[in-house]
Amino acid sequence: MFKTLIEKELKEIIGSTRFAVTFGVCACLIVLAFYVGARNYQISQTRYEAAIAENFRQMEGITEWLNVNHHIYLPPNPVSSLVTGISNDIGRNIQVQGLGELRAEDSRFNNDPLFAVFRFLDLDFIFQIILSLFAILFAYNAICGEKEQGTLRLTFANGIPKDKYILGKISGSFLALALPLLIPILIGCLLLPIMGIPMSSQDWGKLALVILAGYLYFGIFLSLSVWVSGLTHRSSNAFLLLLVIWIFSVLILPRSAVLIAGRAVDVISVDEISAQKSVLNAQIWREDRDKMNEFKPSEDTEIDQIMQDFQKMMQDLSAERDQRMRELGGRLAEQRRNEQSVQERLAFSLARLSPSAAFSLAVMNLAGTSIDLKQHFLDAASAYQQSYASFMREKTGGTLKGGGMVMVFRRDGDDVTPKEIDPQEIPVFQYQPPSVATVFNASFLDFGLLALFNILFFAGAYTTFLRYDVR
Amino acid sequence: MNETLSQIDGSGRQESMLVAAHLSKRYEDGVLALDDLSLAVAPGEIYAMLGGNGAGKTTTINLFLNFIDPTSGQAIVDGIVTHEEPLTARQKIAYVSENVMLYTNFTALQNLDYFARLGGQNDYSKEEYRTALLRVGLQEEAHGKRLRDFSKGMRQKCGIAIAILKDAPAILLDEPTSGLDPKAGLEFISLLDDLRSEGKAILMSTHDIFRAKQIANTIGIMNEGKLVMQKTTEELRGENLEELYVNYMVSGMAVAS
Ligand SMILES: Nc1ncnc2c1ncn2[C@@H]1O[C@H](COP(=O)(O)OP(=O)(O)O)[C@@H](O)[C@H]1O
Ligand SMILES: [Mg+2]
Repeated sequence: MFKTLIEKELKEIIGSTRFAVTFGVCACLIVLAFYVGARNYQISQTRYEAAIAENFRQMEGITEWLNVNHHIYLPPNPVSSLVTGISNDIGRNIQVQGLGELRAEDSRFNNDPLFAVFRFLDLDFIFQIILSLFAILFAYNAICGEKEQGTLRLTFANGIPKDKYILGKISGSFLALALPLLIPILIGCLLLPIMGIPMSSQDWGKLALVILAGYLYFGIFLSLSVWVSGLTHRSSNAFLLLLVIWIFSVLILPRSAVLIAGRAVDVISVDEISAQKSVLNAQIWREDRDKMNEFKPSEDTEIDQIMQDFQKMMQDLSAERDQRMRELGGRLAEQRRNEQSVQERLAFSLARLSPSAAFSLAVMNLAGTSIDLKQHFLDAASAYQQSYASFMREKTGGTLKGGGMVMVFRRDGDDVTPKEIDPQEIPVFQYQPPSVATVFNASFLDFGLLALFNILFFAGAYTTFLRYDVR
Repeated sequence: MNETLSQIDGSGRQESMLVAAHLSKRYEDGVLALDDLSLAVAPGEIYAMLGGNGAGKTTTINLFLNFIDPTSGQAIVDGIVTHEEPLTARQKIAYVSENVMLYTNFTALQNLDYFARLGGQNDYSKEEYRTALLRVGLQEEAHGKRLRDFSKGMRQKCGIAIAILKDAPAILLDEPTSGLDPKAGLEFISLLDDLRSEGKAILMSTHDIFRAKQIANTIGIMNEGKLVMQKTTEELRGENLEELYVNYMVSGMAVAS
């Protein structure tokens, strides 16, 4: 009998015109999302290679390692191109020096602001919108539609247990919708190797988890729709209610969570940090000027000695200035990081009330394009900075660029033609995207939430239907 | 329960398939829709409930199907109290609703197949579905059409075919002729006659005095939830049922005989 119920759902849904049209549209969009992601990867890869080549080209003819301006770049990743997350908003380019703070620049959206206007058509977006609407569109009248139609009555004039019926209904409509969706998804996956996207087994693993998250998300909206359709006796009401829930889940909740967190937790702004820094800077300069004024050479000393003393004092002052500025900068940066992470935690906790946000966070974590990406990139760059620094120290004999003023003494009269440097000697920067295990751990909470929403809504649909008046 | 049965069915006929024993239903809003109804239908017998709108006919049928629980009394199908074992009871009932609604996206054949399976009949062939549809008067060319293009009468015929295919010992019909044209109505009457010969116990509600008299073994007149008259067709021979009916409707005072 269970088989009969499931077969009927399959036939009824797949046989309808509504299905043919909606499925066609959804399938096109899903394939399109894969295509756009693949193109996005190709373009990013070309740019990435060009940027590296340009970096080396600029070093041509340079004879002093000290004059090298070295940049490293965030390499594109296939899965990150499919689920872009914040990867287009953050800087992908870091100028590395032996010392000092690193700052990533030149985000994709910075260079191509046009793309920032509508963002990308990525899998996160498409799944979030399409899968939920698809579920709602076919399940909003799962129960009340049958009641309006009068078929529920005739069905229950037979010896059908209600629990079996609702199980058959949910699993039947899940199968009827989820199985066809596999087609565009598989076509999309096939598109990746066809378009020459180098997917490692790790990448496939992540993509599989993204798709799994998509199905969990789809299940949430399906069971929610069945539930709502069992709460009302009119399908128009059910549809309206589901539309409101959808708007809240997809649009309102995630955004207001960020807004509320922004209000609730103050984060020291970059502007304020630089303001505080310049206040300190000015103060130090005033102090230094006083000290310079107080500089009195002892009368009987030679001019050379005086110059040397002065030079020494200047160097000490400079070192002290750097030290104090670095201290303040470090303190403020840490304060900002802490406040930001409190704010983030609050925003994400609130946003996770929405299944759409939980889904989005899950897939961004899986793709390695969550908000952590920026820090990962910077961490990788800092680690690289160490090896770059020791390389430079070796090449230049201890002098490092970056921290502050550098004085280069060169004896004149050396008429040996300086040798050009070989940029290939510079250590290669490698950005290791997080492994499947790592990203799965990172998205574990959201997977748990997606599963929990499924269980909750399923239980809601189930218990509501047991009390439903089938007349 | 046997006591109840013998009380109602004291005629010495074969034990009843459908029994209402002092059945009452008061809805949540306080309406007493059914007031101490007792009736019995034996296999091979047709019982027609006559009554105006709101008399309690559909309520009675809903109680037999246990779509609602009785306030007091029992509805019994083949010895099973329906509100105690609704699933088993429903297996013994074929039902045609007042306004038959089926899956509009399915063809007549698909609808028949689905509901036959729900009714526990898994082994019908397509030919048997066609035979059933022809038997209720649905022409061959309509069998493969989707129900959304069907008239009310055509749907009614499908509903009747579904009831036949379930092959249950009891049949409940809620105003089954309301959507049928005169010719189809006539065919339906002869179909009911066949089913009766097969030994089905048939309880039908209707407004149609003429057809009730034509086919039923027993006629009960209901008014405001009460069975105000119950007579066999033999007892009614020579009496003017229309007049009786209208009188009962107007006065509403007489007690079931
Ligand atoms: N769900 C309900 N809630 C409250 N009252 C109802 C309900 N269903 C029917 N009734 C009332 O019960 C009475 C009998 O209704 P019904 O059995 O449908 O009559 P019939 O089928 O003979 O026309 C009517 O007065 C009707 O208004
Ligand atoms: Mg009625």
